Amino acid sequence: MIGTASPVVRVDGLTKRYGKVTAIDDVSFSVHANKIYGLLGRNGAGKTTIMQLLTGQQFATSGTVQVFGESPVENARVLQQVCFIKESQKYPDSFRADHVLASAPWFFANWDAAFADRLIEDFRLPLNRPIKKLSRGQLSAVGVIVGLASRAPLTFFDEPYLGLDAVARQIFYDRLLEDYTEHPRTVILSTHLIDEVSSLLEHVLVVDEGRILMDQDADDLRGSASTVVGKRTDVDAFVAGRDIISRDGIGGLASVTVTGLTESEQHVARAAGLELSPVSLQQLIVQCTTSRAGAGTGTADFRGSGRTDTTSRTIGAETDNTSKTDAWSTRA
Amino acid sequence: MTLIDGFTETAASARPRSAATRIWNVVRLHLVDRRTYIGIPWLIVGMAFIVTVFIAQIIGFTTGGLGTADAIEGQRYSWAVMSPQWYLVVVGVQAISFGFPLALGYGVTRRDFYLGTALLFVLISAGNAIAFAVLTQLEQVTEGWWIDTYMFNALWLGLEGFWVDLFSFFVMQLLVFFVGASVATIYMRWRMPGMLVFWSSLVLLIVATVTVITFTSNWIPVSVWFGAQGIAGIFGWLLIPAAIAGVGGFLALRRATPKN
Repeated sequence: MIGTASPVVRVDGLTKRYGKVTAIDDVSFSVHANKIYGLLGRNGAGKTTIMQLLTGQQFATSGTVQVFGESPVENARVLQQVCFIKESQKYPDSFRADHVLASAPWFFANWDAAFADRLIEDFRLPLNRPIKKLSRGQLSAVGVIVGLASRAPLTFFDEPYLGLDAVARQIFYDRLLEDYTEHPRTVILSTHLIDEVSSLLEHVLVVDEGRILMDQDADDLRGSASTVVGKRTDVDAFVAGRDIISRDGIGGLASVTVTGLTESEQHVARAAGLELSPVSLQQLIVQCTTSRAGAGTGTADFRGSGRTDTTSRTIGAETDNTSKTDAWSTRA
Repeated sequence: MTLIDGFTETAASARPRSAATRIWNVVRLHLVDRRTYIGIPWLIVGMAFIVTVFIAQIIGFTTGGLGTADAIEGQRYSWAVMSPQWYLVVVGVQAISFGFPLALGYGVTRRDFYLGTALLFVLISAGNAIAFAVLTQLEQVTEGWWIDTYMFNALWLGLEGFWVDLFSFFVMQLLVFFVGASVATIYMRWRMPGMLVFWSSLVLLIVATVTVITFTSNWIPVSVWFGAQGIAGIFGWLLIPAAIAGVGGFLALRRATPKN
């Protein structure tokens, strides 16, 4: 773990059951101050539940949650430092965006009104229209503006961009990064658009079926796998004995994604006439979560022994084609 | 505070607010859209008054003149003065069903949210009680707004003077808010099963009470008892269900979770 400071969030053995359904299953992790975390996973993996447990909105079945060193449940000292923006946030029926932006500063001591005004212009948010009549993207913009302008020491964004167009999403990423640089704080962002936020994330937590599948530094993760493309015989010879994440091929050509190649190994591969390409964070995570689902293994490594045809389709040549689309929704 | 703690909280740490400020901010949150608690209820009162003026003219035309004792007595059966209450019970429901998820999103604790909401109910009830009690007096002084139209001197209002009107309206308003809010809180806490248990228990309780009174032939003593309480007495008793709804709502909400 990094740094000498105690973590902002410390979760230990956290379990949440709804009746017989186990939404979160014995999860433990820490979140360190002033970093941007990606909380990634498929729909229903438990991302929102984890955020609700960290913000005291849900009650844990067992295990402990500490935020700023204390339980967040009914704890005003902790919750005043926290802002939780969720895609499904409900507003009173009669509310307009200006009601939200007028009341939010009463609850967030670090609120920056000038920054909020700038964001309203950036997102072209109509202030006088009833929230019920806003488009999905405009509704998301309300949350994004509150989340950014609140400058809460610990900010949660739960899929905050639903319905936002590409330009607006880029504005969100830019403003988040700019403001985060000037006013360091801890941000936990759950998202499907992994490649879009990939450069933003400093640490990645992948959740699947209520468990933490991956808890890694984003830079380490990005360098942790490569795709080897070439003649099937050459590729097979090179990857023999390695951790194979996924495999694909047409005719005599093969494309295999493997973990952890050192400099010298990469050299060997190139010398053997093989092409190497980096694997994006999104592909890694997609392969990791789908292969797990296919194989039913509980391990957190990248061995994709039970991968299916759908798994293989995203790798290889189309390195960047999938990057601007939802990592999972395109894979129905 | 140790050095390490100081570092964890960093420069971004937000200045903590006192409990009183936090609770007051919940009151302000409910009132940020002033139409909900003030604008629309008084708009309804205004509309009801216009309707009442027309109906009074019709009564006057058919009975051969307003301002007679009969005409004034006839207007006493009008529920126009209560017209905003049907809306306000819904406002009580929405204070929880919309207010609770929003307040939690703003990092408000359940306790602060409920205390702020209860304080708001008390303040609005007090304001409405003063306004309606004063309007009832004005209506008497002006002999029905100079056109023999009586809307506020209706039902039990205007019978036993300003203070009884003030007290009874205050209790009635509190009851309306807290009943709406506690039903919404039961839903927030226990969802559909909670609603089924609550409403079926309520129906059973009412039916059982009626059955017991009927089988023990106690309807006359019951009506005598009610008659003996007087207006102030009956509304004094109504403080009990208001308090049960208020305290019960607090206990239920402490473990409630917002819907996804």
